Amino acid sequence: MKIYDMDNKCYVNTKEIKNPKTKIEQLSHVLYCFENDIFDVVYDKSQPALVKYINSLNQDILYQDGMQFLYFTSGTTGLPTGVFKTKENSIKQAEALLKTLGDRKFNRVVTTVPFVHIYGVDIGAVVPKLLDIDIWTKENFLPEELVLEAEKEGTLIVTTPVFIKALNRIKKDVNLSGSYFLTSTAPVPKDDGKKFFELYNTSVSQLFASTETGLMGHKIDDEEILKTYDGVVIDEKYGMLRVSSPFVTQKILNDGVIEEVKPPFQTEDIVEILSESEFKLLGRSSNLAKIAGKRISTQQIEGIIEAMDEVECVLIKIRRDERALKDEILDIYVESKIGLDAKVLRKTLKEHFGAMNIAFKIFNNVKITRSSVGKKIGFKEL
Amino acid sequence: MITTDDLKEKIIAGLGLEDMGIDEIEDDSPLFGEDGLGLDSVDAIELTLIIEKEFGVKIKDMGESENVFSTPKTLVEFINSQLESDK
Repeated sequence: MKIYDMDNKCYVNTKEIKNPKTKIEQLSHVLYCFENDIFDVVYDKSQPALVKYINSLNQDILYQDGMQFLYFTSGTTGLPTGVFKTKENSIKQAEALLKTLGDRKFNRVVTTVPFVHIYGVDIGAVVPKLLDIDIWTKENFLPEELVLEAEKEGTLIVTTPVFIKALNRIKKDVNLSGSYFLTSTAPVPKDDGKKFFELYNTSVSQLFASTETGLMGHKIDDEEILKTYDGVVIDEKYGMLRVSSPFVTQKILNDGVIEEVKPPFQTEDIVEILSESEFKLLGRSSNLAKIAGKRISTQQIEGIIEAMDEVECVLIKIRRDERALKDEILDIYVESKIGLDAKVLRKTLKEHFGAMNIAFKIFNNVKITRSSVGKKIGFKEL
Repeated sequence: MITTDDLKEKIIAGLGLEDMGIDEIEDDSPLFGEDGLGLDSVDAIELTLIIEKEFGVKIKDMGESENVFSTPKTLVEFINSQLESDK
């Protein structure tokens, strides 16, 4: 297995890099850590608030025996949650994924995703490592470039629904049947999955996963029912999916405290269980948004806005627009003495989330209504 | 020939930046990163699709086009040069 740097058109070795800055450097570094059993904290250093949060933690507790990587994801309470993963979590998960690919033969992986999240590391790096095939990547891909790569026989593409939607929009007259696509972060909408197969004569397997649980289920093209991966046991509580598997984290870091995870792991995904190996995703807890593939707690954003001068209360609702590449838009209802200005909010969000452009619409002049126990439940226009 | 205002209108509409006016986007301000408009990698993909749909110009290679995406001005210069060479 080798890493091919498509920007500089050269092969790159795995090596330990103190402060990896580019996608290639991050890939080289995480693979070196993985190969040599070196623990590392993997996170998106372009998010200032996350960097600040991690630096504020007692650094000694970040290093836990037997762990390979510590990832950070947005917790439902608004604070980032640290998720420890073992090497065994990743290897067993990769083996389960490969079983679902059947007898397809691949000679390389092309990945559009970064290596600062579990999806990039586990699927974009560990899977090709196990297959002993090269990883091709570059800093930024355009849809046209991805099509050119996918035209080459035996390519496994690790990407996101954004690219599936974008490829559907450029409608290239090419046959990609010699390649296969994997996506994660959210299921591809049914119509997009169907259109993709019709346009390109190849399939997209959509991985349903989270940082805490690892892979849970998958579906292909326009299927609606998710099938569990080997080793994944599912049930539900209050309509929300619970998962036990060899891929689930054993330890999380919550508000600076290490917590052991006792299976089954309770997710925030609202599901209908159809059989012991099949389920349907109905939705997600309303306080988690997925923006450009990143999970963000609406409570965290509400907290950021409520800390601004003159803002008294904020309620955020998530609106979906499946036609857009960024398909989740935040409707932000603001109770304040003066209206919240979009430019000011954009600047504030940038200070917290870095170069991530969050799609939102502000509704000023509202009064947020609360339940008898103080929970924000709605709004009234003033 | 298109103007930077033509492009800004399409950016605002296509990327859902309804809260912004074209006069709030400087011709020379960066489109991406933490300064300027602050667009991200998903916006970059959307932007290439908008340019193809609205102006009929395909952007095929991010490496060659890196400087093209710097500012509204550089992007308009690129679009116009492509339109000119297609004549």
